[in-house]
Amino acid sequence: MAKIVVLGAGISGHTAAAFIKKKLGKKHEVVVVSPGSYYQWIPSNIWVGVGRMSVDQVRFKLKKVYDKWKIDFKQAKAVSIHPEGNEVINRGFVTIEYTDPEKIGETEQVDYDYLVNATGPKLNFEGTPGLGPGKNTESVCSCDHAIHAWEKLQSCIKKMEAGEKQTFLVGTGHSMATCQGAAFEYILNVAYEIRKRKLEHLAELIWITNEYELGDFGMGGAFIKRGGYITSTKVFAESFLIENGIRWIKRAGVFEIEPGKANYETLDGEKNSVEFDFSMLIPGFSGVGLKAFDKNNEDITSTIFAPNGFTKVDADYTPKDFEEWKAADWPETYRNPTYRNIFAPGIAFAPPHSISKPMKSKNGTAIFPAPPRTGMPSGVSGKIVALNIVNLVKKGEHDLKHRASMAKMGAACVVSAGFGMTKGSAATMTVFPIVQDWDKYPEWGRSIKYTMGEPGLAGHWLKWTMHYMFLHKAKGYPFWWLLPE
Amino acid sequence: MSKTKRRGYYEEAYPPMPTKTTMFWRKEIFFQTYRFIVLNIKIIRIVVMGHS
Ligand SMILES: Cc1cc2nc3c(=O)[nH]c(=O)nc-3n(C[C@H](O)[C@H](O)[C@H](O)COP(=O)(O)OP(=O)(O)OC[C@H]3O[C@@H](n4cnc5c(N)ncnc54)[C@H](O)[C@@H]3O)c2cc1C
Repeated sequence: MAKIVVLGAGISGHTAAAFIKKKLGKKHEVVVVSPGSYYQWIPSNIWVGVGRMSVDQVRFKLKKVYDKWKIDFKQAKAVSIHPEGNEVINRGFVTIEYTDPEKIGETEQVDYDYLVNATGPKLNFEGTPGLGPGKNTESVCSCDHAIHAWEKLQSCIKKMEAGEKQTFLVGTGHSMATCQGAAFEYILNVAYEIRKRKLEHLAELIWITNEYELGDFGMGGAFIKRGGYITSTKVFAESFLIENGIRWIKRAGVFEIEPGKANYETLDGEKNSVEFDFSMLIPGFSGVGLKAFDKNNEDITSTIFAPNGFTKVDADYTPKDFEEWKAADWPETYRNPTYRNIFAPGIAFAPPHSISKPMKSKNGTAIFPAPPRTGMPSGVSGKIVALNIVNLVKKGEHDLKHRASMAKMGAACVVSAGFGMTKGSAATMTVFPIVQDWDKYPEWGRSIKYTMGEPGLAGHWLKWTMHYMFLHKAKGYPFWWLLPE
Repeated sequence: MSKTKRRGYYEEAYPPMPTKTTMFWRKEIFFQTYRFIVLNIKIIRIVVMGHS
């Protein structure tokens, strides 16, 4: 009997656990360790943050689903990995600390044959002084944050209804923050809510970003065939903001937030500030801070994890100049090269380099987005890790058959920009591949045939469909395994 | 306040603005139903191509 431990019950970990259990059945044991009692469909937090969905529409209790699937669920956070075991336990194990109210603070050592680290990102609010909920800005990165953002947004709307002007600042809250798409989606939804209440004359909306040009989205932008031209996503993104009455500040690395004021440095080295009444800024991401120890209890964190805390996998981490980056640098199996029974799909793996070109200000501050890893690659990498582990359990060591590189995989991103079955709107974007392959597509880095951007009501329907489809899948409702990642 | 908008010489003046016709087609139910089908096919194609 094999024992597979999955850390994290987000898009990646939940997908991996579901497929491993489905394919391996009763004879093998699957354990999921995750600190929250809920699964949350993070992309719909945008709608919670503008009051269009309740928190219970975007989340459900994990325990019920795992009981049905016969997966052992431990509501706890992993603290350290011991891939060689220690003098007591003669195989790999993870130390976990319970967050379950009934056992809170208790620790346990959970041994494994295979470990899937799908712990996603740590929302590194501390990386920017004054940033984040409970401090000076809001967030929509978790549903709890999104509820709070909506409360604050409502109070600003009330002020506008009383005739007071309000300034809304949305974007990236760190010079290397990523997830621009989510922030972009949020500002468009805030603009929609304000417009719907006919309050736009009292609102100033500002988009602040570390992108060199708008529409970079941390993937170096993209080129799209449209209106007889090949245009860049810069045009697409700027047009969307203009249409919604939003002005922008770009090439800006936010380094400090004071109450009602964001201080930032620009690529040309200037230090400026912008005032706000409401602000939602995405923090920098890092790994969740797991430690690793060898058999003798020596710290081997740097063997398993990159300096940013993400797990090293089968990527080429040799430092290279931007011009030398290759599609082949990106991982395909998400397997740790040192401890080959450890895998890290989703956001938890360390990317070999950014996708956007690295930029530094005159003062030496790096101001550019880190690589985003959206839902689709997170789900797909979770699934292929599951299928490979299943094959390892059944067939023993072999060349892993299932592969999914972000340089060979496309992504579909639906940026909602309004709500309602006839009034809603969204921009649907597809890129193929996510990481440019300049050898295969020398002109534009990606396939022009499969990369596209299109605004319209259909996009809203798509986003709506995805919300229900992915929750159906995550809840394990009939035929869940047929639905794509 | 004057209603005249003097466009030009600031960054926000250069991106394309959708025309009334474009805005109409973005909400037109039958056209959008057709686009919904097209977009689904395009996304499915990308999903299928993405992993082996
Ligand atoms: C507001 C917002 C909107 C987004 N919208 C979209 C979108 O429209 N489309 C799209 O494709 N992507 C979108 N994304 C990105 C998408 O949500 C992520 O790509 C995806 O959630 C990553 O999946 P993951 O499993 O790697 O990480 P997560 O989903 O973050 O899951 C990580 C899991 O690990 C758990 N964990 C953390 N620490 C520990 C620990 N120490 N031990 C054990 N478990 C731990 C967490 O509790 C969580 O369950 C959005 C993101 C945000 C923030």
